[in-house]
Amino acid sequence: MNQHINPGSMRADDGIEKGGMLLHVDNISLSFGGVKAISDISFDIKKGEVRAIIGPNGAGKTSMLNVINGFYHPQEGTITFRGEKRRRMRPHRAAKQGIARTFQNIALFKGMSTLDNIMTGRMTLMHSNILAQALWVGPARNEELAHREAVERIIDFLEIEHIRKTPVGRLPYGLQKRVELGRALAADPALLLLDEPMAGMNLEEKEDMSRFVMDVNQQFGTTIALIEHDMGVVMDLSDRVVVLDYGQKIGDGTPDEVRNNQKVIDAYLGVAHD
Amino acid sequence: MLYRETGDFSSTYAADQQTFPIRSERYLFWTAMAFAFLVVPFLVNDYWEKSVLVPLLVWSMAALGLNILTGYCGQVSLGTGGFMAVGAYACYKLMTAFPEMNMFIVVVLSGGVTAFVGMLFGLPSLRIKGFYLAVATLAAQFFLVWIFNKVPWFYNNSASGQITAPERTIFGVAVTGASAPPWATYLFCLTLVFVFAWVARNLTRGQLGRSWMAIRDMDIAAEIIGVQPLKAKISAFAVSSFYIGVAGALYFSVWLGAAEPTEAFGIDKSFLVLFMVIIGGLGSILGSFLGAAFLTLMPVLLKNVMVGGMSWPTDLAAHIEIMLVGGLIVFFLIVEPHGLAQLWRLLKEKLRLWPFPY
Ligand SMILES: Nc1ncnc2c1ncn2[C@@H]1O[C@H](COP(=O)(O)OP(=O)(O)O)[C@@H](O)[C@H]1O
Ligand SMILES: [Mg+2]
Repeated sequence: MNQHINPGSMRADDGIEKGGMLLHVDNISLSFGGVKAISDISFDIKKGEVRAIIGPNGAGKTSMLNVINGFYHPQEGTITFRGEKRRRMRPHRAAKQGIARTFQNIALFKGMSTLDNIMTGRMTLMHSNILAQALWVGPARNEELAHREAVERIIDFLEIEHIRKTPVGRLPYGLQKRVELGRALAADPALLLLDEPMAGMNLEEKEDMSRFVMDVNQQFGTTIALIEHDMGVVMDLSDRVVVLDYGQKIGDGTPDEVRNNQKVIDAYLGVAHD
Repeated sequence: MLYRETGDFSSTYAADQQTFPIRSERYLFWTAMAFAFLVVPFLVNDYWEKSVLVPLLVWSMAALGLNILTGYCGQVSLGTGGFMAVGAYACYKLMTAFPEMNMFIVVVLSGGVTAFVGMLFGLPSLRIKGFYLAVATLAAQFFLVWIFNKVPWFYNNSASGQITAPERTIFGVAVTGASAPPWATYLFCLTLVFVFAWVARNLTRGQLGRSWMAIRDMDIAAEIIGVQPLKAKISAFAVSSFYIGVAGALYFSVWLGAAEPTEAFGIDKSFLVLFMVIIGGLGSILGSFLGAAFLTLMPVLLKNVMVGGMSWPTDLAAHIEIMLVGGLIVFFLIVEPHGLAQLWRLLKEKLRLWPFPY
């Protein structure tokens, strides 16, 4: 049943081969007033890979994702997504282009059910007009049912059938994280940004989540940018790692290269974490 | 046993998305509708029409409208009275300018005009939220009432400054004016409320409704997953104002017959509808009806009991009513923010398990 979810399938093919450049981040600098969150960072994400972004708290990882999906506007630098250089834009434009994400602090719609949250993830893929929706006639109804089917496959995949109709505000933390992943997957993303998807989870929940992330990447070929603190998880899941510290890039390479990089060891791995 | 939710599994997504997935609930609903459409018209008299049924329907329509904006989309509005006035004056202008126009069309067009005005006054919601938005809608309320008082064109230069609904017919039966039979005005309002409640249900269960709720629950996340805040908020203002405009048109043309803006469309009406939505249940179609029913019927009941039954003075009865409503608002805001609709849901769950709670 898993192979029936096919993120990216609803989007026009971008012609990029697996392993080709999906996203370029070039010389990005971002500051808030006097605080420099990101200074002159460049890296890239290849199609089909899991790209980990690691670094101590406050390193600028979340800010980087916020730049990639158009929520923060960097003072300098450019983002090139699918070969198109981008300047300022609103986040919903990035969503339309196929960039979906989850949040460090869960940002679900608390008053809505699991099902409705994940259905909302398909916002950019549904197009029936207000009149058709008002009358619940042919096109609107069929569209709703077709997308419901796709969403049900995601629900099966994430093993959350039993909480389909539960308002997400009532769910335990671990399940909320899973629903949030579902909402992002529902967008059929070309690039999936995961901001600490396993933070605050117990071991079993972490293992489940790692499995889902790996399955999404391997079975559906979805490109993933992953922020994660658990080094074991990062080493297991990622193809390449970029390391940030105080807004600077201090390392970039395969997990093994990064692990043996002295700068990284000093700045990050050597530092005790909470 | 009335409810058997546990035994009713839906086998298709279409069945699962029905308004009443439980069979017994569906029967109950259609029986009630058959009664409302086929039996009540034969029973209704002048008193029931003017004091109970038409007010109930008009306020239900207004509550549906405000619930879409406030309950579903999370945008507080204190401009309901003013938007009802827009609907009423649009209705008056259309009735007098096009005497031949079908009343259904008049009322729907009045809603359309109000939707447009609502969109304009909804624009600030893109910048401001919560308390500040409430104040902006309050300004709309006073501005609208002021302009309907001020500009003679709106009331066709009538000496009294009032607007008066001329007689208009549907299929040869009067639905407005003094000689309209109670059953006709009742059926006219009922039909509109029935159709637009169904439309509201459709809108709120589809993608547009989800975009409203997403904005309500977390607007930043909503935008990041692809909801356009402009589209979601402005459409909520438009749809909401449409309903409130239709309610205003019916309020003026069918219920009152004549209206003067300060009296009929004051800020007290804005609060009344807001209270209906809070007591009935924010974000619930059923709640809109329950809230409207509660605040329409309770005064009638209290009046009959206290003034009619126990011969208390009218002003004492009115004060008791205000205190009661105030107490209930506080109760629902603190104890049960999802209102009567939630209490009804809990009752159903109890009934479903009864008599074996475990
Ligand atoms: N919206 C904001 N306003 C002001 N400062 C911010 C904002 N977002 C992030 N920062 C600052 O940018 C730096 C990087 O933060 P963040 O990207 O959240 O780090 P990380 O995710 O790596 O822990 C921090 O110093 C933080 O205080
Ligand atoms: Mg962070």
